[in-house]
Amino acid sequence: MKPNIKMCTKNLDFYYNKFQALYNISLDFHECKATALIGPSGCGKSTYLKCLNRMNDLIPKTKVIGEVKLNNEIIYDSSLDVVSLRRKVGMVFQKPNPFPKTIFENVAYGPKINGLKNKAKLTEIVEKSLKQAAIWDEVKDRLNQNALELSGGQQQRLCIARALAVNPEVLLMDEPASALDPIATQKIEELIEKLKSKLTIIIVTHNMQQASRVSDRTAFFYMGKLIEVNDTDTLFTNPALKQTEDYITGRFG
Amino acid sequence: MDVKEKILIIVFYGASILSAAITLIILGFMVVLSFPIFSEGLFFNILTKPWSPDQGLFGLGPIIVGTLCIALLALIISFPVSLGCSFFVGILNPKGLGRHFKKFVELMTAIPTVIYGFVGIFLLVPLVREIFLKGSGLCILSASIMLAILISPTMILFFVQSFKTVPQNYLNAVDALGGNIAQKFFYVILPNTRKGIMTGIILSFGRAVGDTLIALMISGNSVAFPGSVLDSARTLTAQIALLIAADFESIEFKTLFVCGICLYIITSSGVLMARYSTKKKRHHI
Repeated sequence: MKPNIKMCTKNLDFYYNKFQALYNISLDFHECKATALIGPSGCGKSTYLKCLNRMNDLIPKTKVIGEVKLNNEIIYDSSLDVVSLRRKVGMVFQKPNPFPKTIFENVAYGPKINGLKNKAKLTEIVEKSLKQAAIWDEVKDRLNQNALELSGGQQQRLCIARALAVNPEVLLMDEPASALDPIATQKIEELIEKLKSKLTIIIVTHNMQQASRVSDRTAFFYMGKLIEVNDTDTLFTNPALKQTEDYITGRFG
Repeated sequence: MDVKEKILIIVFYGASILSAAITLIILGFMVVLSFPIFSEGLFFNILTKPWSPDQGLFGLGPIIVGTLCIALLALIISFPVSLGCSFFVGILNPKGLGRHFKKFVELMTAIPTVIYGFVGIFLLVPLVREIFLKGSGLCILSASIMLAILISPTMILFFVQSFKTVPQNYLNAVDALGGNIAQKFFYVILPNTRKGIMTGIILSFGRAVGDTLIALMISGNSVAFPGSVLDSARTLTAQIALLIAADFESIEFKTLFVCGICLYIITSSGVLMARYSTKKKRHHI
């Protein structure tokens, strides 16, 4: 069976000023699967991730060449509304970054800026998102507490709930567990496992065990180039290239 | 601890105690010199009676009201404009234009107030006179507009500076959720910069209250209670500048120090109020 391609890039180059950070990257993301992007620091995987929801637009003097498509539509099109793109392609950052507001306010923010004012509907969405992010039981009695009083792991799941509240189709995760302890990390990984039944997940990670645990497909980046992409099992057990093998067996990087 | 270090500590201690003491010494100085007025039971008269030295009336009430009106109106005019400017400079910043714009604002702080006064007299006053067809144009409104221009660079620079302190984290979060720039501004930037904005407002208010020349040149300097923004009024600073009393022992002369005390109280209560309000709200942001 041919997988449904939710998002893809074709011959994507990316420049910071004159420095070329990405070279000719063509990669498909299958619908309702988790794809892990691995590679050593500075290999361009985070930059690549940010091309997918046009977060790089905000950095001055950057340039994108090539194609990025979501649902077969080009997203680097002047007619496309970046705001609506980012509502479809949510993002979770490396460091948990809840707003210094209440837990409720944090999750309700996305729907609110979409124009939803109905309090009952908002409450419903907040509850649903917090449940989806597997944090509802821990916070349901203190929704009006400041989000910064939560632990790091809870904050990160709150940020995931915040991203989920706008019903994204794709969720980008930039090393979402690298600032967390092993138990909190495990919770995030379980969450990813659960979430991918409903949405497409693209996760950048330094941790190869994590990539092998949570992802269905893995792409290995090195020096701004896509070296190899395959089913996670295949890539980790039987890599096609020596370079990939060296990296996943810890011989470099 | 060696001698050098001890000397350093003494010097730094001394410097900070001295600068803290100076504000108190000035207050004490003014209180002592205006003391006869308080002791002779004239204090109440000073607040309620009109200013008419020939009849022995030394009321500062209208002048205090005039000062507050001019300064507050200047603040009301300047605040939205400055907030808009700082949004443009610090956040929108189209094509890096904000940076050049900011240089202009910085330049504005270097213009002597007498120039603003001049511009006010030759450009603004006739304009106000023509638009409202009332009086000479030397009025609270003209002075406030000019003062608003004078204090706006202070506000803009403070606001822009405080916008920079908003953690990039929060801004990223709004972007990633598809928030537009206005939503980012109102939801994340403003609540997180309340303190900086308050500080900018206080400093500008202090400047507006303390500025002498603009009010002196444009507000008309009448000593009656102002009835509308088109009425002429006198500020405390202008009162000090205008008063020529040769007799150092006269009550008239001593009221100068009362003016000083009033100015002191107005600006310090502004600072205290602002401090209180930012402290109380800090937990909610």
